[in-house]
Amino acid sequence: MSPEAPSLSRRSLLRAGAATTLGLTAAGCGFSSAPDAAGQAAADAPVDVKVDGDLVYFNWADFVDPAVFAGFSKEYGVKVVQSNYDSMEGMAAKLNAGNRYDIVFPTAKWAERLSRGGRLRRIDHGRLRNAEAVFGAYDYFADPWYDPRSAHTVPFTMYKTGIGWRRDRLGDLTGSWDDLWNDHAKGKVFVLDDRDEVLAIGALEHGLPLTTDRPDDLDRVTDTLRSLRPRLRGFSSDSYNNLLNGNADMTQAWSGDMAAMLAQAKDPSVFGFETAREGAPVNSDCYAIPADAPHPGTAMLFIDYMLRPENVKRNIEYIGYPMPVRGSEDTYAALVEPFPQCHVTAADLRDDMFFRNGTAAGEKARDAAWTDVKAG
Amino acid sequence: MATTARPPRAAGKAARERLWTWLMLPGTLWMTVFLLASLILVATLAFGTTDPLGNPRFGFVLDNITALADPAYRTVLLRSLGYALVTCAVCLLIAYPVAYAIATSGGRYKNVLIAAIVVPFFANYLVRMYGWSVVLSDDGPLLRALRAIGLADGGTRILQTGTGVVAGLVYGFVVFMIIPLYAAMERMDTSLIEAGRDLYAGPLRTFLFVTVPATRQGAAAGCVLVLLPAMGDFVSVQLMGGPDQIMIGNLIQDKFFQGQNWPLGSALTMLLMAVLLLGMLGYLRRTRKDEAEAVR
Repeated sequence: MSPEAPSLSRRSLLRAGAATTLGLTAAGCGFSSAPDAAGQAAADAPVDVKVDGDLVYFNWADFVDPAVFAGFSKEYGVKVVQSNYDSMEGMAAKLNAGNRYDIVFPTAKWAERLSRGGRLRRIDHGRLRNAEAVFGAYDYFADPWYDPRSAHTVPFTMYKTGIGWRRDRLGDLTGSWDDLWNDHAKGKVFVLDDRDEVLAIGALEHGLPLTTDRPDDLDRVTDTLRSLRPRLRGFSSDSYNNLLNGNADMTQAWSGDMAAMLAQAKDPSVFGFETAREGAPVNSDCYAIPADAPHPGTAMLFIDYMLRPENVKRNIEYIGYPMPVRGSEDTYAALVEPFPQCHVTAADLRDDMFFRNGTAAGEKARDAAWTDVKAG
Repeated sequence: MATTARPPRAAGKAARERLWTWLMLPGTLWMTVFLLASLILVATLAFGTTDPLGNPRFGFVLDNITALADPAYRTVLLRSLGYALVTCAVCLLIAYPVAYAIATSGGRYKNVLIAAIVVPFFANYLVRMYGWSVVLSDDGPLLRALRAIGLADGGTRILQTGTGVVAGLVYGFVVFMIIPLYAAMERMDTSLIEAGRDLYAGPLRTFLFVTVPATRQGAAAGCVLVLLPAMGDFVSVQLMGGPDQIMIGNLIQDKFFQGQNWPLGSALTMLLMAVLLLGMLGYLRRTRKDEAEAVR
């Protein structure tokens, strides 16, 4: 789904407590329809980059260095009003229920859904002084599949999915998803508690499209994952804690989690992280301004401020995820020196390695496949 | 004046009735709006669909109801019921001696002892369960200690086993068993225990044939209070279970938060509620029978 903050256990708590918020989101219920034509025109109008109120910020918990917030507040004399979500679905439900925020951070798939549904405001990159360091250096984001010409988004982080493992217990791996079937790790293998990520293992093993929803493809995927099931110890998105506390010998993991783990591991050399040659799912979180943001000017200012080189560096070091900003590459390379495969390069950013939105029927079919895999 | 025509006692009664009506109003409104309305929402959404943006839409399709025929749901539902029943049994075993000891020998410390049991439960359930999962982890303090004294070997595990899940559920809900049992024991006529002793029954016999029957209503209330949340729990499995322990609460959570399939999640919620309702009806029938016997 999305990357983790350094204090991942807190994110896991949030995930695990998602149902606590169920009642709240259900109250909003996300039944509102797409905005009207006048609303759409307003959302397309260019926004001045200027303070027009406090910043109402909505993101995963702990996903920006607090010092960066403090600097922004001090420099522009605005307050940052923070709230957090525990899933993309929860974030979308709050937006649909009419809660108003100035800035949100959808993943690629959700950026597409929200912009297609008229939920995001157009962003004129020409007005952002620091945007050139992104779009001038990372061609991919100049016209990504999820938001043509990045009209409503600016990329924030990048990450990919691979396998984290205990080198001290298993030695070297082969660089394939087959490693999850490694006999030495039997009974101590975790996969992420995430539908798309887990189905992707089966799809990549068979060379199928990452987010296939064809019934016969899904049958092959579930058959493969069923053969993995007896070897599994659990479905958990708490990858690095599972490795650190000895519950896992091997786990499917997001690259940023592994980078964040380096800060906590006493001896990083006992751990490893690899991406599989069959393919590594890749993703990106984006800055986006909701169509009904009360203070879009401040939000634009905040994006520009976040893209300043010193703030990019601070945030990379704080959350452990690389950012597509020119000049930040060395900072990340130094951070993940023991796990070089955490890098996300231009070659990794392939359209076919992103999770895509499906039709309602397709999503249902994938959902049923996931139940099949999870419930056994 | 009109009121002077009414006898004063009747007027007082009417005023009291009005007062009770007013006092009941906030609670009734609250339940109507937040409980009934959300129930109706979930029930109707079970027949709904999902739009291309993933938003739920009301409608009238039976897809979600027919999807419940998938054998996976039956397996998971039965498993959840099994875990909830085992949890109830373990909670009873733990709660009876605790409640008995406090009620009979607590003396002036009774309230303090009850507070000592209840206060830790003020901390967020999730945080406590997370802490519990750390304690039970492979390299955690409990298994390290057991290994040190030779009661466990390198392959012994608690997390990601049924034991781990039941441990989590018991830890989470045992207080709901202790409190009603304690209340029942407080109300119990202790001369019954003395009578049992007078008739040469030993402590165990007295406990089993005098105390347990006399407090069965408290036990039944405790079982309902434990069974209901344990059936729908998903945190315990998420933190302490493995693939073979998935419960119905986890699947419902997935439908709402991963598949964005709120209609199917709603249908599953209704299925769970139907099962729980059966248990609840059984409990109500039992208590009504007990009350009728007591009156007679």
